Amino acid sequence: MHIKLEQRHGSSLLWQGASYGLAILAGFVATAMLLKLSSADVTTAFEALFRGALGSQRAMLRTLVAATPLILTGLAAVVVFRARIWSIGQEGQVYAGAMGAYWVASSLADAPLVVVGPLAIAGAMLGGATMSGIAALLRNRYEVNEIFSTVMLNYIIVYLLSFLLSGGPWTEAGTTVAYHQTPLLAQTAWLPHLAGPLHAGILIALLAAIAVHLLLERTSSGYDMRALGANQTALRFMGMDVPRIVLVTMLLSGALAGLAGGVELLGVQHRLKADYLFGLGYGGIIVAMVGGLRPAGTVAVAILFGGLSSGAVDMRIQSGVPDSLIQAMQGTILLFVLCGTALARYRLTWSSAK
Amino acid sequence: MTVALQASGLSKRYGDVVALDDVSLDIHAGEIHCLFGENGAGKSTLSGCLYGYVQPDSGALAIDGRPMRLRSPAEALRLGIGMIHQHFKLVGRLSVIENILVGAGGRGLFLDTRAARRRLAALCADYGVALSPDAIVEELPVGLQQWVEIIKVLFLGVRVLILDEPTAVLTPQESDRLMAALERMRDAGMAIVLISHKLREVMRSDRVTVLRAGKLVASLKTAETSPEELSVLMVGRKVSPSYDHNRETPGEIVLDLSDVYVNGERGHRVLDGLSIHVRAHEIVGLAGVAGNGQRELFETIMRVRPLEAGRISIDGKDVTAGSTRDVIDLGVGHIPDDRYLQGLIGSFTIADNIVLGRHHDCAFRKGPFLDRKAISSFAADSMSEYRVAARDSGTRVDRLSGGNAQKVILARELQRSTSLLLANQPTRGLDIGVIDYVYRQLLAKKAEGFGILLASEELDDLMTLCDRIAVIHRGKIVGVVDPSGTTPQHLGLMMAGQAVSGGDAHAH
Amino acid sequence: MSGLFQEAIFVSLLAATIRIATPLLLSAMGELVTQRAGIWNVGVEGTMLTGAFIAYIAYAVSGDHLTAFALAISAAMVLGAITAFLSVTLRVDHFITGLGINLLASGLTLFWFRSFVKGKAQPTFDSIGTVPFPYLSDIPVIGSVLFDQRLLTYAAFALVPVVWAFLYRTRTGLELRALGENPAALDTMGLNVVARQYAATIFGSALTGLGGAFLMLGFSDRFVPELSAGRGWLVVVALIAGNWHPLRVTSAVLAFSFLESVATHSQAIGAAVPYQLLLALPYVISIAIIVMARGKSRQPAALGESYSRS
Repeated sequence: MHIKLEQRHGSSLLWQGASYGLAILAGFVATAMLLKLSSADVTTAFEALFRGALGSQRAMLRTLVAATPLILTGLAAVVVFRARIWSIGQEGQVYAGAMGAYWVASSLADAPLVVVGPLAIAGAMLGGATMSGIAALLRNRYEVNEIFSTVMLNYIIVYLLSFLLSGGPWTEAGTTVAYHQTPLLAQTAWLPHLAGPLHAGILIALLAAIAVHLLLERTSSGYDMRALGANQTALRFMGMDVPRIVLVTMLLSGALAGLAGGVELLGVQHRLKADYLFGLGYGGIIVAMVGGLRPAGTVAVAILFGGLSSGAVDMRIQSGVPDSLIQAMQGTILLFVLCGTALARYRLTWSSAK
Repeated sequence: MTVALQASGLSKRYGDVVALDDVSLDIHAGEIHCLFGENGAGKSTLSGCLYGYVQPDSGALAIDGRPMRLRSPAEALRLGIGMIHQHFKLVGRLSVIENILVGAGGRGLFLDTRAARRRLAALCADYGVALSPDAIVEELPVGLQQWVEIIKVLFLGVRVLILDEPTAVLTPQESDRLMAALERMRDAGMAIVLISHKLREVMRSDRVTVLRAGKLVASLKTAETSPEELSVLMVGRKVSPSYDHNRETPGEIVLDLSDVYVNGERGHRVLDGLSIHVRAHEIVGLAGVAGNGQRELFETIMRVRPLEAGRISIDGKDVTAGSTRDVIDLGVGHIPDDRYLQGLIGSFTIADNIVLGRHHDCAFRKGPFLDRKAISSFAADSMSEYRVAARDSGTRVDRLSGGNAQKVILARELQRSTSLLLANQPTRGLDIGVIDYVYRQLLAKKAEGFGILLASEELDDLMTLCDRIAVIHRGKIVGVVDPSGTTPQHLGLMMAGQAVSGGDAHAH
Repeated sequence: MSGLFQEAIFVSLLAATIRIATPLLLSAMGELVTQRAGIWNVGVEGTMLTGAFIAYIAYAVSGDHLTAFALAISAAMVLGAITAFLSVTLRVDHFITGLGINLLASGLTLFWFRSFVKGKAQPTFDSIGTVPFPYLSDIPVIGSVLFDQRLLTYAAFALVPVVWAFLYRTRTGLELRALGENPAALDTMGLNVVARQYAATIFGSALTGLGGAFLMLGFSDRFVPELSAGRGWLVVVALIAGNWHPLRVTSAVLAFSFLESVATHSQAIGAAVPYQLLLALPYVISIAIIVMARGKSRQPAALGESYSRS
């Protein structure tokens, strides 16, 4: 017996859809097995997880709150990955965005929300864009592969923040124990709430998703980005300014990731602490890839994962399962989706060889 | 004569395309057997089947009269069948001896280079090839690289040698030497399968099998046929490769390169003081062995490659310090040799490819948004004008045949350009109908007053189409000749870098 | 400060450099083989983290070093096989594959770690002891820097000439080098491209897993999430900086290790810079190294490209 993979001629939408569904299902099954291995009660854990995500109106609102930064970091990943710029700097850009927002908001402590809000948001975008701008510059000027520059910048910014928060100028004064955090921001800088825990950040995230969709599919700049991803050489031969397209794409991506950090700071945490922001950037990459690098898919997957991580808190309280289950689950689903989408391009053929 | 290799009823399909349809043939020991046919006639598929590289859907092989199934090239090599592929299968950064040792088998964990060097020296002496075992392959001239491939296969002691278009990258003189070497192998009792579409080589074989559209058309003794008969068999109809060749008085200089020096990726010279000019109303041919700087020349004119020294001007404007955008804006059209890499975006639609580079123009844009309606109607018009066969302008270009893909590039570049056209191997891999179409388009543009720089490996085509032919060798123009006063042999000597007396090296 | 004290710091600095280099070197020699075979594995970080974590769990449960190392290597090999399946068989972009492996490893280790330590004190343990060479370790300075190390450290440095000889002197090594340059050169000779790329990827991952295990058991007393802290990425950078050559890669690894050693000794040295910023130094330097290596470094021609016939 001889098993062979053959490229499918023309990928069918049905197959792709089916492979997606199967991949996510496989992710859940694998997670159940993980739970079993860690000798937790699978039913109780999953039940608590889903109740925490969708069980009440408040739970659903909390799901949206958790989804908000993931939508934004997911979009940040969509923009660069569609252009085949392999930036994985979203994690660091989230930190830089929160730092930018914090710096603006804490400097304007006495101003009213209408002034501080927009300026702090702008500070967040600027913070993220600075990080990605450095990586774009390193690529354009010094041929540094953005994978390495962004990874390294992720580590560098974490150490920088750690310095600022413990011993540096932003350290919370007056506490005897080092919490590695800043003091709370003045309430004037807090994003308004729409309903219960849901803050205005979700509107920003959804607007960003629509904007990114229109940009990529409908505008000539979006054409540039997609063309950069599809064939950079042809673009160069047609006289397009490739470094400029790279820079614009990276700045936009960084601004989106920075926005995630800013929204999380101004809408939820109201103080800067590294732990609060951990994993949002990498989570966004997973969200974008599972969402098929499309804004709509990204929003949908971000809400799914947001629900899981907000439900995970209930799960931990009720069944004692660590909420980091969600990270494991996300990683597993990503891997299954990678396999699934790749397999959908092929057809398995069996032939009996003598 | 003994039958070394026998194929019966070989068929192979790729998706909907029938590449090989019930082909049977015998290869005898001690003969040069030529497989002759157009691009896409099934020659490479057939030879792949004989080498175990392609698995036929049906049909059988017999080696020395015994039925065999070749599941991989490894089995073919074990049975004494070797193959030289159309595209080099060498490792450029490794030395000659290392390349020969890849896959050469042998016992033990460690490489036995001493014995290999001795055998290499013996083989080189046999065929009069000067190859240093420690030379790095990518630094050798293309003609010698070809010999590394051949000796690599001979090293394994093959009895049947298949060569797929081995002379595509050689000068006529190098080709002659290769043919002589093949004749010696034949006389030593080897079976040689030579795949070619060049009549000159075919006529030196002992037997010739003609393929057309995957079918075997004829199998003939070469001595009993003629070039005319073979070309009719190849295309199935009489063709007259003559074009209305209006010799017009050339006009102003539209492209002028003087003393251009350009370095390659690894810092070595690829254009070495090259000068060339093209006038309006003329086609200047660029003849040369592949890898002598043709591609770099086109890339330099397009200002995709930086210049070390020299000057380039287009339409009288100096673009030495200019960008690709500047060149494009001067109305230069470019038909690249690698159309899917440099010319098209495979995953984009025909419409998007036709406006590629112009998608920021006001005509195709409403504010920041693309004007889809304007783009698709423009694309539909272009498709009918340039005879692109596809369902609609929303078809992805990577689903098109090579000919239709090339027509998409023509549609974009010919409509966009206003004075100068750069065409690098514009007919490579296309079938005769499309080749004819491409050439007629170029001639029409010439009549409109364009200057055209045309590089091609088909010397015969250059000689019928061009007003002047410039020969490039090692990044330099070594001579410019009038096609009516020269021969392919003469061009070949120049392509090999030999100074030629009697050639009109300064024809203008 | 007394001269004696300065010398002690100097020795400690260099000895730490050698120790810190060990996991990087093990991984770099493995990934060198992987990359020479054309597989651009950027899942090194996740593989190393997995090796470290599995070693931790296995040692905490069994108390046996050999078991811990064996299980760490096995787990890493599984990741290597997944990497190969995705990038060779399914032809997923090598970068996407590696990213997936990193995210999977980071999520799984975090969850398993939290489950493992849930409701109890985290087990801590002494790191593996050093094995001084008789006589040689008594040489002043050099002795304690080079010859009073752990067994795996000696092994890691011994691996460098072994990998060199493998790549440049053996038949298989030649085939792997050819594979990274032009897979068609092997395929047309009837040599199995897929099998070789699987083997090279799994081999590289095994050594990376071993490096991770050493990172855990060699000089940490407990596991922390993201213990590998970018060392896997530094390995990939070291390959670029070392132009995919065993000896030059080793120098790059030693340079990174020295920087980290300086950062950890900063207080003893009396540097006035906050230690967080010193800890960020290897990452800053690695960017600088890539900038400097540009143009001088030439990667295997087919690195990161999935091979398919025709």
